[in-house]
Amino acid sequence: MHPGRQLAVLGLLFAILYVLVFWGPGTKGLGYEERLHPKLGLDLIGGTQATYRASLLANGQVPSQQSMEESRKIIDQRVNALGVAEAEVVIEGNQNIVVSVAGKANDQLKNVGQAAQMRFRMVLGANGDTADSVMNPQAAAPSTAPSGSPAPSASAGKGAAASAAPSASTGGQGGGELAPSPSVSPSAEPTPAPSASAAAPAPVTADIKEQRAAIEKKVGKAAWEAAEKLTAPVDTTTDTTAANIYKPFNALNSAEVNALTPEMQFYVPTISCTQLDGRPSGAIDDEKSKVVSCQTGAKLLMDVAKVLGTDIDTASPQLDQQSQWVVSLDFTSSGQAKWTALTREAFQPAADSPCLTAAAALSSGATHCLVAVVLDKEVISAPEIQGVLSGQSQISGSFDATSAKELADQIKYGALPVTFTPLSSETVSATLGIAQLEAGLLAAAIGLGLVAIYSFFYYRLLGSVIFLSLLLSGLLTFGALVVLGRTTGFTLTLAGIAGFIVSLGVAADSFVIYFERLKDEIHEGRSARSAVPRAWARARRTIISANTITIMCAVVLYIVSIGAVKGFAFALGLSTVLDLVVVFLFRHPIMTMFANTKAFMSPRVSGLGRALKRQPTEKEA
Amino acid sequence: MANGLADRLYRGEANLNIVGRRNRWFAIAAVLVLIAIGSFVFRQFHLGIEFSGGTKFSLPASVGSTDNARSAVAKAIDEAGASTDEDNIGAAQKVGDGNDASYTVRTGTLSQAQSTAVKDALVKDLNVSPDDISDDRVSAAWGGQVTQQALLGLGIFLVVVMGYLVIRFEWRMAVAAVSSLLLDLVLTAGVYSLIGFEVTPSTVIGFLTILGFSLYDVVVVFDKVQENTKGITAGSSRTYAEATNLAVNQTLMRSINTGLVALLPVGGLLFIGAGLLGAGTLKDLGLVLFVGMGLGVLSSIMFAAPLLSALKDQEPRIKSHNARVLSRRSSRSGDVARGDRTRTTTEQDGDDVPAFAGSTPSTTPRPGVRPAAKRSTNRGGSAGNRPSGGQKRR
Repeated sequence: MHPGRQLAVLGLLFAILYVLVFWGPGTKGLGYEERLHPKLGLDLIGGTQATYRASLLANGQVPSQQSMEESRKIIDQRVNALGVAEAEVVIEGNQNIVVSVAGKANDQLKNVGQAAQMRFRMVLGANGDTADSVMNPQAAAPSTAPSGSPAPSASAGKGAAASAAPSASTGGQGGGELAPSPSVSPSAEPTPAPSASAAAPAPVTADIKEQRAAIEKKVGKAAWEAAEKLTAPVDTTTDTTAANIYKPFNALNSAEVNALTPEMQFYVPTISCTQLDGRPSGAIDDEKSKVVSCQTGAKLLMDVAKVLGTDIDTASPQLDQQSQWVVSLDFTSSGQAKWTALTREAFQPAADSPCLTAAAALSSGATHCLVAVVLDKEVISAPEIQGVLSGQSQISGSFDATSAKELADQIKYGALPVTFTPLSSETVSATLGIAQLEAGLLAAAIGLGLVAIYSFFYYRLLGSVIFLSLLLSGLLTFGALVVLGRTTGFTLTLAGIAGFIVSLGVAADSFVIYFERLKDEIHEGRSARSAVPRAWARARRTIISANTITIMCAVVLYIVSIGAVKGFAFALGLSTVLDLVVVFLFRHPIMTMFANTKAFMSPRVSGLGRALKRQPTEKEA
Repeated sequence: MANGLADRLYRGEANLNIVGRRNRWFAIAAVLVLIAIGSFVFRQFHLGIEFSGGTKFSLPASVGSTDNARSAVAKAIDEAGASTDEDNIGAAQKVGDGNDASYTVRTGTLSQAQSTAVKDALVKDLNVSPDDISDDRVSAAWGGQVTQQALLGLGIFLVVVMGYLVIRFEWRMAVAAVSSLLLDLVLTAGVYSLIGFEVTPSTVIGFLTILGFSLYDVVVVFDKVQENTKGITAGSSRTYAEATNLAVNQTLMRSINTGLVALLPVGGLLFIGAGLLGAGTLKDLGLVLFVGMGLGVLSSIMFAAPLLSALKDQEPRIKSHNARVLSRRSSRSGDVARGDRTRTTTEQDGDDVPAFAGSTPSTTPRPGVRPAAKRSTNRGGSAGNRPSGGQKRR
């Protein structure tokens, strides 16, 4: 190739890179100077520190050190999956986990403490959230029609306000294939079916018994007994006395609601979605019991979980045919069998199965049952099962690219053995700070200076080729860091900077190999013009094999390792590739052009002719 | 004469007998490895807070600055008589903003009694209420899993690179290259263990950088060896060891240059890190890189190449070739008594000897003189004056 062409390719690369730096994605709203800032690491500019507290175990004990360490590991993986960021995750005291990441990252850290217990449950019953209409007939009569807002009760009714529950708004996440349809109405009651699938009631601990006794006292014996007898949702439009009977239940707080049997939570018309959503995390994790949860304003009664998150081998975000983000699941072999059995049960239910009525209530015209995908307390989606699924399956919901990846990562890295609640999220200062950053840059400048001096001393003017190309790789690296920092979240720590300083040396070395070869060629009496291509052919082979090894090292470490080592591997690979770019697109063409000049062979200029020049003098001596 | 050596180095004709003294290098390497392993066993490593966890003290905003916070904790630890050395007090961090801000300082692991004593000392020194100061145990940030995965990565890399080197060169070279890499790693770790430098995540990262660099260096040398020994059995002027030694000499200047060029920036790092800033990431990294890369340059010359020649000498083809070269040489010079060692030197000097039509190989030339004469031959001549090896220079 003509040397000019290679330089043109390099120029083009440069132009593209710096266009990306200044006008690429993520530059909106930044000043021109800010656009030149690479994303610096926690150690250099500080960042955000979020604290998560582990919930106490059922027996009131703090979680064991072992499960805390397990959680730490999983959270670490989740945080690192957010990007090539170098996060720090430590256990503090007995029950806190502290996550620190560089920069402002409140949104990103929002969900890393989520337990991510995944359950697949068949939907056995569906009923509108009638609490408000029952409690407050005039104000909100037809409010069972889901309006898109999570709980239709937000503004209306003192009933809902009476519950002290924080209104966690999970309902809005639903949707997907399950279009919220106004047909969710109390009229579509499932027939109370003592179905075969009804499992034995979950064992009740003494603790729960006590709580239930307290609740019984609170709501009154009459209401309690009436609720206990319920086997179907109360049709409040026909049964006008219901409101009065069940009124006390509306005043229960979420913890109390949680103590009720799933059947009561579901059938009692005055228990609102707000109350249900406010139950503590982990409330519906028990795979062996039926549970109630809300989705787009409808209360769902769900069967025992027949497939769990642990049955999933891997998960990945994908775009489906309709360009919707979905999470694609690969089950383990035993999980696959369970999943196939569950979908068969939902696809071909017994004719009198309550799930059919529930399905029809939720999406009109449904002829098969629904299976709800439940993550922690939230029903992500509850699609109608359209066939017996024996291969890869997908979860749809209203995902975007970020949330699909987040869910996939959560499934992939496993559920936390402990549930965590976020305590605080604060800024933290840098551990090393700008002084160290400046010192690092100073070290880089000194290093570069020393290399330049040495190469000028040794290779005379050819040293300028070394110097220029080091400058060039410096600029390329810098541009790449800025762009990568914005697009993939690659953060530059002090260790990373040191790594790049070292790569200066390695980059300079490929020049040394080349020049030494060139020297040998000239030493053998070749003209500069013929020596350059010959030396290049030889040196290229060496440089490529040596760099191949470095790239292998980077790739293997990047794939296998986690945490800071991954970041390092990325930096190593990047600097090596850039080194090769500079070698091929800058140094070689420049040398070819140099070789055509007269001055090239002069010992003063190149330092190459020294070997030649010496001969006559020594001979004379 | 020093000038002469530099000059010969410059031309790749230093004629240092490196490969011929291979047993000496192996012995030195073996002793050093034993020392390193002994140190692993008896002295272990001095692990930083990031690996071993520690105690975290939270101080109120009234302390003023991160530096004050750190020195207050250092002072309190001193007063409390809790035994932890200076290195183990991490940098202070400011958490939160404004009135809610606090400063946290991490130290090495303290026992419950120690940390209470430190806390009391802090309360007294800073004159604040005990509620404003908290102490918590913190776990290691660098979990065992990170190390485990990094080691797994290292293992996989070694297998992959071995495969690559076998394809690119041959298995003996692959074995020699990987052994030399392992030697570098063991010795670098040995230096750490022996001197008791603190091992931090930065150190581990630096350690991994050596991986690539060390092999890089070896590959460059082996590339030359391969070139010099291609078709070596066709001629009978040089044994394999001698050809290897020639290659080492020819790349010696490159190795020195590389070493200097790579170590200069690292030296800058070390100088700034240790000299101007005291302890810290830069020092940790600079140190491990300096030690490791220095060893890498040395071992590619003193260990990898000699090991390769030792391995190759076991190969039947090369064995018979070596025997042929030696017998031919002895019959020519008629001077068997000289012994192999001297002969090696002679031969390297006389690497161009065939150019003189075998007229002068019996006397050991003075190195300083030889190049001049040789050069003149070279200049006048063409590639034709090197009939036997043919592969000496590209």
